[in-house]
Amino acid sequence: MQVTIDVFRFDPEKDQKPHFDQFVVEAEPVDRVLDLLEKIKDYHDGSLTFRRSCAHGVCGSDAMRINGVNRLACKVLVQDVGTRIKVEPILGLKVKRDLIVDMEPFFDHYKSVLPYFINDEAPPEKERLQSPEARERFDDTTKCILCAACTTSCPSFWSDSAYVGPAAIVNAHRFIFDDRDQGAAQRLEILNQQMGVWRCRTAFNCTEACPRDIHITQAIAEVKKAITSGKLD
Amino acid sequence: MATRQVKISQNYETIAWKWMRYSAILLIPLVFGHVLLQDVIVGVYEINADYVARRLGTWFFQAYDIALLGFAFAHGVNGLRQVLRDFIHNPKTFRLVSIALFIFWAAITAYGGIAIVMAVNAKLASL
Ligand code: FES
Repeated sequence: MQVTIDVFRFDPEKDQKPHFDQFVVEAEPVDRVLDLLEKIKDYHDGSLTFRRSCAHGVCGSDAMRINGVNRLACKVLVQDVGTRIKVEPILGLKVKRDLIVDMEPFFDHYKSVLPYFINDEAPPEKERLQSPEARERFDDTTKCILCAACTTSCPSFWSDSAYVGPAAIVNAHRFIFDDRDQGAAQRLEILNQQMGVWRCRTAFNCTEACPRDIHITQAIAEVKKAITSGKLD
Repeated sequence: MATRQVKISQNYETIAWKWMRYSAILLIPLVFGHVLLQDVIVGVYEINADYVARRLGTWFFQAYDIALLGFAFAHGVNGLRQVLRDFIHNPKTFRLVSIALFIFWAAITAYGGIAIVMAVNAKLASL
């Protein structure tokens, strides 16, 4: 089958403003949008620029807007989006070139919530044991691959990029509710600022955008509850 | 599994968020009570100046209506504040806007409260 694909193009060295290039490519229904982009780059226009690494939904580098929805290009099949496809960079972060955006502000927000294990007690001889139930408490938020599909689908983030964003909150949640960690209070103080969880208006865009099906809005609500109640379970 | 606890300082944002939730819970009985009384028990065609004057002649309904006005309006103004936050990116400007909105709320609620108490007493006196 033939697929017509409109791709967002912007080369800061040549273009005043972005435009769309149209390509017609041969594809199988089970091809992924990433395959089409590879085909364009290999056979039509070698200057097309996009990120990809694992090509299997693990590394999170190829989040983009496909027909208006934030998806991973490596997880979307042609048969699911049809033969007219529009591909654009994710919104709210500065476009560096074509489908590549500047991820630095996104990772700055991520770093701001202390997304690492904090526990100053001397570790036991073997390992810090945890019950299956306690592990289950934050299982969902361990799945994040930092693709930014959620944060760049969030209207609060579009309106003000100072908002820490759903992805950072998800990664804070992963440690806040880990009973081996002791940094919950610190993280909750950070997220209790105006640019923290309170910017979330429960639009649910993040939950829909997440390629890992994380219940993001729920995770944010749990963090809000932990802040207001002071309870971590 | 014992509940782990943390102490998080409550700031303006926390209070505003809680306020939205608690005022909403309070609004449900207030609004439904109001709708039930005005639209079902009394009926819209029976509502005239005399009825309003008699209803508001009781302390209970004066307090009820002032609470309804204050809570509903605060709920709405805080919502407006949230919406404005999308457009005002300077924290200082936003602080000023928040203060202005609070004064706006207090003034309208006070004006409404005075109208409910004073105007009704005046009307009752003339009956
Ligand atoms: S290329 Fe790694 S997630 Fe798509």
